[in-house]
Amino acid sequence: MAFLEMIDIDKAFFGKSANSKVNLHVDHGEIHALLGENGAGKTTLMNILYGIYQADSGSIVLDGVPIQIKSPKDAISHKIGMVHQHFTLVPTLTVSENITLGLKSPGYPFVKRKQVDEEIRSLSERYNLAVDPTALVSSLSVGQQQRVEIIKVLYREAQLLILDEPTAVLTPQEVESLFDILGRLRAEGHSVIIITHHIAEVLSLTDRITVLRGGEKVGDVKTRDTNEAELSQLMVGRKLNRMVRTRLPFTYESKGLVAEALQDAQGSVGPISLQVPPGRIVGIAGVDGNGQKAFAELLLGIRKIKEGSLTLDGKHLEHLGVKQRRALGFGYISDDRLLDSLVLDMDMQENLLLTRYRGQECNHHHFIDRKKLRELTEEAVEKYAIKSGSLEYPVRYLSGGNQQKLILARELAGNAKVVIACQPTRGLDVGSTEDVHKTLLELRRQGSSVILISSDLEEILDLSDSIAVMYRGAIVDVIEREGDVDLTYLGLLMAGSPARREA
Amino acid sequence: MKRSVSNALSLTVVTGIVLGVSLLLIVMVGSSIPSSLSSFIRGIVGSTYSIGEVLVRATPLMLAALGVSVGFRTGFINIGAEGQIYLGAIAITWLGMTFPSLPPVLMISLSLLVGFLAGGLWSVIPGILKAKFGLSEIINTIMLNYIAINLVGILVRTSLKDPSYPYPMSPMLPPSSYFPMLLLPTRLHAGFLLALICAILVYLLMFRTSTGFCMRAVGLNKRASVCSGISVRSHMVLSALLSGGLAGLAGVSEIAGLHHRLIEGISPSYGYLAIVVSLLGKNHPFWIILSSLGIAALQVGSMAMQRSSGVPTSIASIIMGLLVIMILARKQFFGCKEV
Repeated sequence: MAFLEMIDIDKAFFGKSANSKVNLHVDHGEIHALLGENGAGKTTLMNILYGIYQADSGSIVLDGVPIQIKSPKDAISHKIGMVHQHFTLVPTLTVSENITLGLKSPGYPFVKRKQVDEEIRSLSERYNLAVDPTALVSSLSVGQQQRVEIIKVLYREAQLLILDEPTAVLTPQEVESLFDILGRLRAEGHSVIIITHHIAEVLSLTDRITVLRGGEKVGDVKTRDTNEAELSQLMVGRKLNRMVRTRLPFTYESKGLVAEALQDAQGSVGPISLQVPPGRIVGIAGVDGNGQKAFAELLLGIRKIKEGSLTLDGKHLEHLGVKQRRALGFGYISDDRLLDSLVLDMDMQENLLLTRYRGQECNHHHFIDRKKLRELTEEAVEKYAIKSGSLEYPVRYLSGGNQQKLILARELAGNAKVVIACQPTRGLDVGSTEDVHKTLLELRRQGSSVILISSDLEEILDLSDSIAVMYRGAIVDVIEREGDVDLTYLGLLMAGSPARREA
Repeated sequence: MKRSVSNALSLTVVTGIVLGVSLLLIVMVGSSIPSSLSSFIRGIVGSTYSIGEVLVRATPLMLAALGVSVGFRTGFINIGAEGQIYLGAIAITWLGMTFPSLPPVLMISLSLLVGFLAGGLWSVIPGILKAKFGLSEIINTIMLNYIAINLVGILVRTSLKDPSYPYPMSPMLPPSSYFPMLLLPTRLHAGFLLALICAILVYLLMFRTSTGFCMRAVGLNKRASVCSGISVRSHMVLSALLSGGLAGLAGVSEIAGLHHRLIEGISPSYGYLAIVVSLLGKNHPFWIILSSLGIAALQVGSMAMQRSSGVPTSIASIIMGLLVIMILARKQFFGCKEV
């Protein structure tokens, strides 16, 4: 009999389906992977299981008994525990204080800390989770903190552990030791669900794999019966390809933007080498959080370049700030438009002014030409079909699509030479997405160097002339778009498999 | 439409509560309401002199509040106007005592300059600490208030002391440092005009120039400013300088227009009131003109009420405290969205 069954789970957010008719089947003593791209609905499903969300319909059956999980408290009482991607530890407390947080420990309210520490110690020995109960959490490494989270769940006597992207923050060595621990848990009869998009890890660790795509279950396979190619096909597998663009012959008059062995000071990206000639769109594919944003910030100058060179038509940019780079024709569409791109309490005119206040058009001897600014804003509203009640209204009240159009209008004004578009269609509806795509293609036609960073592979495939895949801060390969792209290969690259060409 | 209705409604409620509480307090101290109110109003607009008093009191409030507003707009929460006023006062006293024979034009322009710089210095220190090291300007400006106030205490007993008097105060400054009087026999002096001019200048700077635009952008969204290539640090420091400088001018104006010498307690919490004034004036220079006049009238009127009806002036402070809380709360209760 199955340990856990989730049957026909449906969940929609604001009318948008995140899970539709998803089934999950986990046995006793099984490590089960929930595999899928970002936004495939993995975390939503697990949050339903853990009681953070309620399913719109569908049922959860544990050991043959249908159960209701209305909150994480219910989940814990059914011996289900979850380790979130972002840890929930209090850094200023000790390990054992963190583990017992919210519980009535022996001797409460005068907790017998030594006794608790002993219990934790024996627990950590049993599962090979080496950690000192008296240490402050702030002094622990990320890998150790994760162990504390796992002990926390085990201390609450969880039989089923959910781990959300457990390897995302770990070094390879830490990953190895995590796998040891998970194996030990399996041996002790626990069941584990890990949420992940790393195919290689899935294959080396799990017993069974459920693949989600676009909120639906597309596969449920035994690990020993499958292989990398099949999994990436399932995970990424999409029809190719509504070609919306016409291919242009490239005539390189100049080199465009050239990055050579670029590295940032924090060590989160690089070394990256990439060329973006004028009139081309280079797509940066990759799973979220593999350094794409840091790369974008490095190009624009928000992040400082530590090593390597960055040139635009031969002119060195390394030591220029954001201001100077923008003056050279850089435009930046951030993935976080509310934080990076807009001043929500200013109106459309002032938001347009944000990158243009220095320009000749609106700035006469440091005084802002309000009339000209108004004209420019009206032009932008016209050109990009921005729907808004009034130019004086704070942009806070614009819809996401209109906000994005406003950003496009600003960032692409004055024939941007280099455009860095970071998740430019995230959170937009179909119509707005199409507008953004058209604009990017128009830029390409005008001879801009466009860098399109997106975790939406379809978008990358639709628009890019070449595709660079980022994994763990580096570009693992650049694929030229000549004819169809080998999707399996692309999926493998994105999932961090060792790069090798098939075919 | 809906917004203006809820705004009007909320203002009515706020006024109603404030009025109700004031009347209640008057009754509680055992005074008659009609006579208290009439002495309150006569105290404000009863004579040329009383009107002059309101304007005199509004002057330092307006100047310091303009400073506070520039800081607030840039995200520099300057609680240190009080100390910066004292620094301005020290500066003009030092100038008048050191160079007593300067001609009036030079004396006044120099005193404005040194007063501005002294106040600005007092605010640039926490400004740089915030911009460069991320230290809380709120704590630092408050701490610098204590230092400034006690610095004045030391100076009026030592190097700036008038040797011919036993009291801790400076000698009278040379008449060349006095602001022209505007409306004799009232005490109204040119400092009021200075404040009005500063209001216009602050308006032009903040809302018409690119520098002011950058400062406001930094105040509203630092991250977006960085991404647009606006230097957060330099605008933060500039805003701190202007903020403290304007408060410094308030100190200069109090000495040059009113006291003509440095004494302890030259600012009866004008610097803290300025925060209230700026808040009531939505950090906008033109509204600040109005709110400074309003707070000044409230204070002057309540003093008149104390003289003739025996209602303690503390009622003014209570009303002010209440006003601020209500105005902040009204955004939550009535959903008023103000920028």
